[in-house]
Formats: sequence, C-alpha cells, structure tokens
Amino acid sequence: MTLETIESEIEANVPGCVLEIVSNPSPSGQHSLRIDPAHAVAIATFLRDAEPLRLDYCSNVTGVDWPGKEISEKVKIKKLVDGVEQEVEEVRKTQTLGHLEVVYHLYSMEKKHGPVILRMSTEDRADRVHLPSLTPVWRSAEFQEREIFDLYGVIFDGHPDLRRILMWDGFQDHPMRRDYVEPDDFEYEPTPHDEVLERARQHRTIMGVQ
Amino acid sequence: MDENLKSELRKQGIVATTLQELYNWGRKNSLWPLNFGLACCAIEMIAASMARYDMARFGAEVFRPSPRQADLMIVAGTVTKKMAPQVVRLYNQMAEPKYVISMGACAISGGPFKQGYNVLKGIDRYIPVDVYIPGCPPRPEALIDALMTLQKMIDRQPLTGPDRPRHLQADAPSEFIVPEFGAHDLDPSQNPEVWQAPLVNISLAGTDDAGND
Amino acid sequence: MTNSPYLPVIVLLLAAVAFAVGPLALAWVWAWKFSPRKPGPSKNAIYECGLESKGDAWVQFHPGYYLYAIIFLVFDVEAVFLLPFAVAFTGLTLGAGIAMLVFLLLLVEGLVWAWQKNVLIWS
Repeated sequence: MTLETIESEIEANVPGCVLEIVSNPSPSGQHSLRIDPAHAVAIATFLRDAEPLRLDYCSNVTGVDWPGKEISEKVKIKKLVDGVEQEVEEVRKTQTLGHLEVVYHLYSMEKKHGPVILRMSTEDRADRVHLPSLTPVWRSAEFQEREIFDLYGVIFDGHPDLRRILMWDGFQDHPMRRDYVEPDDFEYEPTPHDEVLERARQHRTIMGVQ
Repeated sequence: MDENLKSELRKQGIVATTLQELYNWGRKNSLWPLNFGLACCAIEMIAASMARYDMARFGAEVFRPSPRQADLMIVAGTVTKKMAPQVVRLYNQMAEPKYVISMGACAISGGPFKQGYNVLKGIDRYIPVDVYIPGCPPRPEALIDALMTLQKMIDRQPLTGPDRPRHLQADAPSEFIVPEFGAHDLDPSQNPEVWQAPLVNISLAGTDDAGND
Repeated sequence: MTNSPYLPVIVLLLAAVAFAVGPLALAWVWAWKFSPRKPGPSKNAIYECGLESKGDAWVQFHPGYYLYAIIFLVFDVEAVFLLPFAVAFTGLTLGAGIAMLVFLLLLVEGLVWAWQKNVLIWS
C-alpha cells in the first residue's frame, strides 16, 4: 500500500485531519506522513485498528531538532529617492522560530508490512512544545517518548509517566538540542585542534590563564 | 638486614623478614575486590576471575558484595554522571586501606563517550586512582597485570615516615566529596583535592611537542 | 592434679582459645598502634548499594511471609514422615496405612483452614 493510498484512507476515515507527505529524496526513499497533532491520536488509532493496515507495532520513536534560521529574501519596494519614486531592492531578514519534530516508525506484525513513518511537529522550540502522546495507542512508545522529553524537551500530553529517563530529575537542559551548551568539562588533550582547541582557549580565559 | 645474608639464610630454610615486609606481604596477597561492574569491562573482569585467567592466584578471588569487606575497587566500565555519586559513595563506604583500579578507556577519561553529555570524563575526578588500565575493554591479562602492579606498589609502601600510605596517616582523608546532581552538571564537577585539569599549552597546539605546561 | 585425665583437654582448650583470640588481639594492637580510625558520615551510613541511605536498617516484613513459611514447613516435615512410610509401604499393615491417612488428613485440614482464612492470597 503506497503512502498516497494510506493518506486518502486516513482522510476518508478521520474527518478534519491535515496530512502532508514528506518525500525523502535519498535512495532509501522512505517517505513519511506529517500529521497534525490535534488529530494524532485518532489517526494513530485508525492506523493500528483499521483492517487493511493493522500497524500494530511501533518500533521506534525519534526526535529531531529544527533550530530557527535566518531567511534573507530580496524584496522590491517603492521608495522616494531624491524626490523621485524608485523601485529599490532591499534585503529583508526574517527569523523563523524553528520547531521540534517527533518521528514514529510503524510496522504491522500481522500483515508483515511497513514501515509507515509518521511525523509530528511542535509550534516552536520554546514554550509551545506540547504534542499528544501516542503511548495509549502503542505501549512501546512509552520509554522512547520519555527519552525525547528528556533529550529534546517535547512535552507529551496524555503520557502516563512523563519523567526524565536518562538524565536526573533536577537536570534542566535538553542535551540533544542543537543549541545545548555543555558544561565546562575541560577537554585536556596534548594536541588539541578544531573544536577542542577552541574550547581549550575558552577554558583558559575562564580560568584566568593566558 | 643484609640482602645477601637474607637470601643465604633462605637457602638454609630460614626466612628472615621485617615487620613491614610481613605486613605488606599479607596485604598485597589478600586484595578483595568490590563486586560491581558498570559496563562491558565488567565482563572482562568476570572472565579474569574465572578458571581460565584465575585471579585467585593473586589472592583476589573473593569478590565481596559489600564495601565493608572490600579492599579494591575495580571501576570497570563507563561511569555516567548519573552513576558517579553512587560510585564515590561506595568508595567512601569501603574500609581503609582501599585501592582503586580504573579499568578501561571510559573509566580513565570517558573514552569513546568523552564528548557525550552524560558521561563522567574519568573517575579520577572524584576518587584517587592507583592503577589505570587502558583498553576498550582491556583483556583479562591486562587486569591481572594491573593487579600485580598494585601488589608491587603495596609491597613498596613503608610503615612509618612521611611516605606511609594514606590509611596509616591520621589526618589523610578517608572520604571524598560525593557529587550532587546539579541543574546542568554534577556539583562539583571535580574534586580539586584529587584532580585538577592539566592545562594544555595552546601556543604549541598542532605541533608534536605540545604538552602540558 | 597432674594426673588428672582432663589436663590435656584443658591445655588443648586453652590453645584453641588462644588460636582464635590471639590473631584478633594482634590485629587490634596493630590497628591501635598504626592505623588510625577514620569514621565518617558516608562511611558509617547504612549500605544501600551506593544510593543515599534512607531510614533504618531494621525494617518490618509483611506477616504473610511468616504464614507462608509456617505452611511450607508443615508440608516439608510431612514429606520427611512420608518418606520412611513410602519405603516400608509393602510390609505395612492396614492399620499403619490408616494412621498415615489420618495424619495426612489432619494436615490437609490445616491447609483448608488456612485457605478459608485467606492466608494463601497474597495482598
């Protein structure tokens, strides 16, 4: 069953859902389906229970961090230059918010097909990081969603036991985010280079050594 | 006593020794390790204690499940930051004299996980380590070599004088700071009494003779 | 006194006590002379596999353990009695068989009683 037919099946059975096929240009060609968080549980339940699919096994849940980036675009605007109206090109820079993404890999043990890949995105990376938990649908997602909560900071609503799983409870950072700043664990190597050399320099300034 | 005379007497069936030698001989041949493992190095440690490599030949076969009865802590494997306080506390709970073998790349420096966010970059940041064994994981022969190195170290320790081992000095510490879980890292991130980061000479970075300054 | 037959026994007894106490006393003298005591809060804490110790080492156990242990013991002892009975079974009279049956029934009655009292349900 192709992803297009799965998409139309879901659209026919879960009213109001917003779906988008994210194509993967690499040789593996594992295209995925972006689902909207509001209908995620209904879609997941449909995928698990509906007869042609029966995706009863969630093998893997992963997080992806998409940091915000600066997009610069050239805009033509009309401006008064020396009293004459002229068309001037201006570079306008906008900062995107970025988002966190969660990827589910689904298989069917019964029908022996798969994977079907689902994606869900949060609105931004700061405080609107809530996503519905799919643990009530697939129990195997429990620990992996906890891991994503721990390492990326996605808050899964409806998760039965959302605690940190790898780091301790008082830990405040999310180490797998791209803007994570490691503590000053000085990397002492006799021949530092590249990033390690840069960190060694920073450490020396912190320690007050020239 | 003269060494020649001693060996001459020994040939005649008379063993002459000093109290210090007798004491160290007893201690070095009854090093009981603490029975715990942290990662894959522990499998090699188990192999070293079993029949093929047979650590029992060196008096170290009795792996004790309680730190109260153990003399030797073999830190066998990756010490994660979440595990580090427990390891330090176990070391604190061991009775003196106590020794530490840091087994494998991870326990020495973090090893392949050195750049990771959750791995302690060497257990020597918190407790004094006597013998380091490199390897990932080290073979059982390497562990036996470390044990023999430790035995030689114990054999050289004087009973009196300023060089006497830590357990014979009244003011030397027996407990070390147990790190606590902080908001971003372990607190403190190292015990400055035990370990300080060697500073790398950056001006020489990239050349072969860049070393510690 | 010198001819007392108990003399060697007393001598051996003293030697045995000295053998046991001597090394301990030596170790104590050695520790007193050389090794200073170094107690500490972490060292004296209750051993909990390295975790921070909470509470006391003296803890109460669920009474269900004792009831289980007693019922187990009853049937363990029953097996001990049954074994010689089973070995000599062919040479025994009808009376012995009935006596054994009564013994078994008494024990089964105890089991039924425990069952009625919900002892077998772990809660």
